[in-house]
Amino acid sequence: MNDERIRLSQELLDQGLGLIAAAGYINNEGGQAIADAAADLMSQGCSTLLIDLEGTRIINSIGVSILLEIMEKLLEEKNGRLAFCNLTPTIAKTFEIMGLVQYAAVFPDRTTARATLEAGGGA
Amino acid sequence: MEAVLHLPVAPNVELVAAKAVETLGGALGMPRSRVEAASVAVVEACLNAIEHGGGSMVVRLRSDNAGGRAGLVIEVEDHGRGFAPEDVPPRRPAPKLGSGPRRGWGLTLIRELMDEVQITSRPGMTLVRMLKYAENGP
Repeated sequence: MNDERIRLSQELLDQGLGLIAAAGYINNEGGQAIADAAADLMSQGCSTLLIDLEGTRIINSIGVSILLEIMEKLLEEKNGRLAFCNLTPTIAKTFEIMGLVQYAAVFPDRTTARATLEAGGGA
Repeated sequence: MEAVLHLPVAPNVELVAAKAVETLGGALGMPRSRVEAASVAVVEACLNAIEHGGGSMVVRLRSDNAGGRAGLVIEVEDHGRGFAPEDVPPRRPAPKLGSGPRRGWGLTLIRELMDEVQITSRPGMTLVRMLKYAENGP
């Protein structure tokens, strides 16, 4: 089991691509921490956001709801898009059940995600 | 193999139940993906118990071999006002982004992530019984 407290890193890459790496439990607090990081990146010009969940193995529905809100904000304010990589099978299934994968791109790993998104693909 | 947890309402207490699922599932030799699915389900059941149960909860876990298939049985019991499970339809993603419900996904996730789910509820007691087989079915 991963630690309770979420650990984040964020980086603004080329071409308006923002990267957030999240490790830990994505509940209301973890989801809000990701939302705050996303807002910060958007204020710096991020219009495409990649969230790497390699260090995350457990989530809850409230946390996923906050990720949906990030996606809505990105679309409404930046006409942007959201992508994920390194999802466990359970997290991928949870995203599918709750409708995230209808609107977000999902990649197996960060290298593939960056290559695709920086080339303008993955919508 | 059996464990009984009496859990108070406390921040992130649902992770205690998830840790127990991880430990017992691992002891049963369950693949990691199946343990993680059961962990998310028990987290949702505990969150429902906290939100609607009105106080502490009991989580029981035990290995099971009914029908010759090994599995992990998880029960989450609370003592809230109860509800009618048949009145809680499965949630589906909204056809348009932002138009769907934000809350109320717990039971849908539990039903989708576990192999069998039974809910018994009456005023004063709700019991969510979940089964995750150790391996995929034939």
